[in-house]
Amino acid sequence: MKEILDWLDERTGWRKLKEVILDRHIPKGVDWRYTLGSVTLFFFVLQVVTGILLGMHYSPSPDHAYDSVKYLTNEVPMGKLLRGLHKWGATGMVVSVFLHMLRVFFMGAYKYPREVTWFSGVFLFFLVIGFGFTGYLLPWDQKAYWATTVGAHMVEQVPYLGDALAKIMKGGSDLGTVTLTRFYAIHVLVFPALTLLFMAVHLFLVVWHGISAPPEKDPTLSDKDPDWKARLKSRYAELKAQGKSFWPYIIFKDTVAVTLVFLIVLGVALWKGAELEDLANPTDSSYNPRPEWYFLSVFQLLKYFPGKLEAFAIVLLPLIVVSILFLLPFIDKGPKRHPGDRKWLVLAGWMSILGVVFFTVQGARSPLTNPVMEQNPLVMQGKRIFTDLNCLYCHTLNGRGGSVGPVLDLVAMRRDKNWLGAHFRNPKKLTPGTKMPNFNLLDGEVESLVAYMSTLGATTYSAEAPRLFEDNCASCHKFQGTGEFIAVDLSHIGRARDAGYLAAYIKDPVKMNPDAAMGGYADQLTPEQILDLANYLYQKGK
Amino acid sequence: MKDPKGISSGPENPQRRTFLIALIAGMGGFIGFILGGSGLYYFLSPALRGKKKEWVDLGPLHNFKEGQPVKADYLQRKRDGWEVIDSSGVVWVLKEKENYVVFDSHCSHLGCPYNWDSAKEQFVCPCHGGIFGKDGRVVAGPPPRPLDRIPVKTENGSLFIMLEEKA
Ligand code: FES
Repeated sequence: MKEILDWLDERTGWRKLKEVILDRHIPKGVDWRYTLGSVTLFFFVLQVVTGILLGMHYSPSPDHAYDSVKYLTNEVPMGKLLRGLHKWGATGMVVSVFLHMLRVFFMGAYKYPREVTWFSGVFLFFLVIGFGFTGYLLPWDQKAYWATTVGAHMVEQVPYLGDALAKIMKGGSDLGTVTLTRFYAIHVLVFPALTLLFMAVHLFLVVWHGISAPPEKDPTLSDKDPDWKARLKSRYAELKAQGKSFWPYIIFKDTVAVTLVFLIVLGVALWKGAELEDLANPTDSSYNPRPEWYFLSVFQLLKYFPGKLEAFAIVLLPLIVVSILFLLPFIDKGPKRHPGDRKWLVLAGWMSILGVVFFTVQGARSPLTNPVMEQNPLVMQGKRIFTDLNCLYCHTLNGRGGSVGPVLDLVAMRRDKNWLGAHFRNPKKLTPGTKMPNFNLLDGEVESLVAYMSTLGATTYSAEAPRLFEDNCASCHKFQGTGEFIAVDLSHIGRARDAGYLAAYIKDPVKMNPDAAMGGYADQLTPEQILDLANYLYQKGK
Repeated sequence: MKDPKGISSGPENPQRRTFLIALIAGMGGFIGFILGGSGLYYFLSPALRGKKKEWVDLGPLHNFKEGQPVKADYLQRKRDGWEVIDSSGVVWVLKEKENYVVFDSHCSHLGCPYNWDSAKEQFVCPCHGGIFGKDGRVVAGPPPRPLDRIPVKTENGSLFIMLEEKA
């Protein structure tokens, strides 16, 4: 064994490396707060590993992205867990990089001679934010689509260059195919490469200068003293001599911290998973766009800058934040690192943290003005298939389309679900001589199409329906000018739900939505009344 | 000058040194220029792309209610990158005395999908609290300008809007 190790040492010099990296002494006083950097590093590794695995089932195109994510989540073994880990790992990384930065800030660890370490860290911080922003477009769900729409509009506000910049970001004037491939390339190629680069610099410098010792209050130290740098160095050497070696003492602490956060992330990933909203739908005007929580403070801030000041908020404010971060080591110079000696700065730091927390909370609480309602996934799927199969080449809907087949408005009044199902499975069998081709649809596709077709009807409601609503629903639900706004506002419910769904929901809400707070009306109302009510809501709410 | 093993190590010639450095910089610069230039142009090219406009069918006129904004969706067959897609979109149409006003369905602030609140008779944006009147003017919130209007025309009993075709 010894021979092998010697052989290797002569060729790689690993003993020297081990000495410099693993055996180096860490100054006395380095405690648990110092594990945050390693935790962040761990998150990066976690994101790389889970990211690579997700990449094996992901297809970066608007046609397939959503389905591929859905597939890998629901059908690939462990897919759900891995996506959960990636999602919550991202959250964890934002938190840990932020806390790490705060530790460095409050301890004044960015001061001489570690300024460049700090700069590389600031770059890494922005990379983490960039990862977040580019990452959540990839599933191509509603959140992805609308958050990126807002992001692109923000870029557009930049004076003079805005339009060009937004186009560069989107790869064209609309959010589409090229946007997704761009974001994908940046998320999985550009940013990881840059992160590795800056991380290499960062870690090299950490080893080169040694981890900063906890700040000490030393009234005799000041930058008036011509050899304060030498004094700092000798004090550091002293502390270092009293400290323990990196391996295994510090690494032990790091490993404990990493295991702890891993358990947390694992727990949250198992518990919450990673939600996937409905497929991105540019035509949906009842969606309430909300960014990922770490952008909520920005989201909220945007509310306070009216009209013309917008450009200020979008260009100047970030610029100020970036410059402060980069200039920090020049603003706050000299040997004094203890928070007690940097009162104003520490105060400013606390104020900014409170500000960010405050705006984040405000942002999270801002009311959802669009009625919150889930879409019926089957109907949406059906609509997609309807478009994909180019049904409008032959059929007409809403006054547009071809004239070969029958008009489809109100088709649900003429045909019931059984007929529609049989028709899609084999048109010629049901209607000999029809020109409708057999598309060889799978069962799931037939079901979706039938669901969609069934929404195209004008089932009427009786004169009694409004009274039914007043008596049974108005005490909680708002509906176009009547009722209380306690539960969901139903004014536009017909845009998201068909009458059949509504009827089923009124009958037994929990069956349709396990989280429903509403009780069923199967006992209070007759089936005819429920249907009447559902038709009323659907027709008037369309 | 040769050392005993025959390897020449002449005295350093400062001019030769500068010359070599210049050559290194030159060759490196050349490679960097070609690669960086073409790469940058490739990456930035979307900014230079022009816009083409075309009329898109919004459906028959009788679909629109007098005096009440309604949502209308359209299908536009267009190129999206390397794909040709039937892209669907939606606009708000306000018909007043046979006069049609069509609003882009994105809030003029940062593009969120606003909605018509029929009780308040206002457009309400779900993002930063933007509120617009029926005619699109800003009533409250941060939007910097009224709702964007899209050019319209009526032809053969149908409403058409002028949209950007993506090249
Ligand atoms: S996007 Fe509508 S208010 Fe900001």
